[in-house]
Amino acid sequence: MGDSAYSFSLTTFSRTGKLLQIEYALNAVANGRTSLGICAADGVVIATDKKLSSTLVDTDQVCKVEKITKGSGFVYSGVGPDYRVLVRKARKSSQAYYRQYMEDKPVSQLVKTTAGVMQEYTQSGGVRPFGVSLLVAGVDGDGTPRLYQVDPSGAYFGWKATAIGKNYVNAKNFLEKRYQDDMELEDAIHTALLTLREGFEGEMTNKNIEVGVVSKSDGEFRLLSPEQIQDYLDEAN
Amino acid sequence: MDTVFGVAYEGGVVLATDQTNARSILMYQKNLDKITQLSSHSAMGVSGPNSDLVNFTEYISKNLALYELSNDGLKLSTHAQANFARGELARALRKGPYQVNILLGGYDESTKTGGSLYFLDYLASLQKVNYGCQGYASNFCLSIMDREWREGMTEEEAVSTVENCINELHERFLISQNNFIIKVVDKDGVKVVKYGADPADN
Repeated sequence: MGDSAYSFSLTTFSRTGKLLQIEYALNAVANGRTSLGICAADGVVIATDKKLSSTLVDTDQVCKVEKITKGSGFVYSGVGPDYRVLVRKARKSSQAYYRQYMEDKPVSQLVKTTAGVMQEYTQSGGVRPFGVSLLVAGVDGDGTPRLYQVDPSGAYFGWKATAIGKNYVNAKNFLEKRYQDDMELEDAIHTALLTLREGFEGEMTNKNIEVGVVSKSDGEFRLLSPEQIQDYLDEAN
Repeated sequence: MDTVFGVAYEGGVVLATDQTNARSILMYQKNLDKITQLSSHSAMGVSGPNSDLVNFTEYISKNLALYELSNDGLKLSTHAQANFARGELARALRKGPYQVNILLGGYDESTKTGGSLYFLDYLASLQKVNYGCQGYASNFCLSIMDREWREGMTEEEAVSTVENCINELHERFLISQNNFIIKVVDKDGVKVVKYGADPADN
């Protein structure tokens, strides 16, 4: 990045000390579809609203929850195409790590690297910040389940439970009431679906949401199939 | 001309090297410690020119320290350390090779037997082994290790096997290597079991 004609950064400080491009990027995130995550004692769940502009859209072809390494996955709120760039970079960096150490890249390091990339785009020539916030779920190098949020600025936070995108304020309040430190993964998935339904426009079905789960027992990040989601939805009714 | 031994046992690894530092017909030093500590629970016994020995071991051990500092104290497993070291040997191989042959031993809580031993050579080969030798010593001592190693060995048995190998070299190896240093890597870290001459003696 940074053609000679654009070797200056487009993200510059305002008089009040703000980086307005980042603020605007956060606005883009706040307009995006809701995503949330819950970190349980024995695993992590992330989920998102996949509702699309028209009923004619083939939802099977849309992939918002993405696996990055064996034990970690991303979901986002904001601008989809920007997200796909980050997913590609994260997967590549994880494979480079594997090539060096013959071991999976721990989630905490994946987050730091990805956050580093996002920060670069706020201080490099000729580029704009990514219009997404990420939720990263995984079981870390020491076996602990972790949930992280990464913002367009490159700031990252570890969460017990959080929500981003449209309606995130209500969703976070809902989560605050329901979260317990000793929650189990099954309860967490249940609570995640209830939270998602709270702000859902119209009927929530197994086709218009996506859920990703990683359990401490096998350390493998998986997307729930529509059938599995339907089972949880039936339970919730 | 250097000798490196390694024997993995139940709960750790024994590493041993000769203590001779020599070139051509001249012996510089008889108390060199060729087993360098990599991290809190790993070490490598190295053979080759002293320059490459020091350069390579310092490079690897400081990069491992950097990893721990950058990642909140997270330690790399012995398997990851060995693969990292191999990768660096491979990268340098077609530019300016490190002429070192290594036996890398480490202790990890998570592995079944605790101790693991890796054989690396100057062409960047890597193999996990139960026991191994580097140098001319292989010709004399692999057969002893073949006969004596068994699963579930104790530290005493492993050290005894290494001592049998050292005695064989004293008996039959043309080049005189009077002093050997023996170290053990286990759950308590890296410690010296015995040495022929004190490395700290200047």
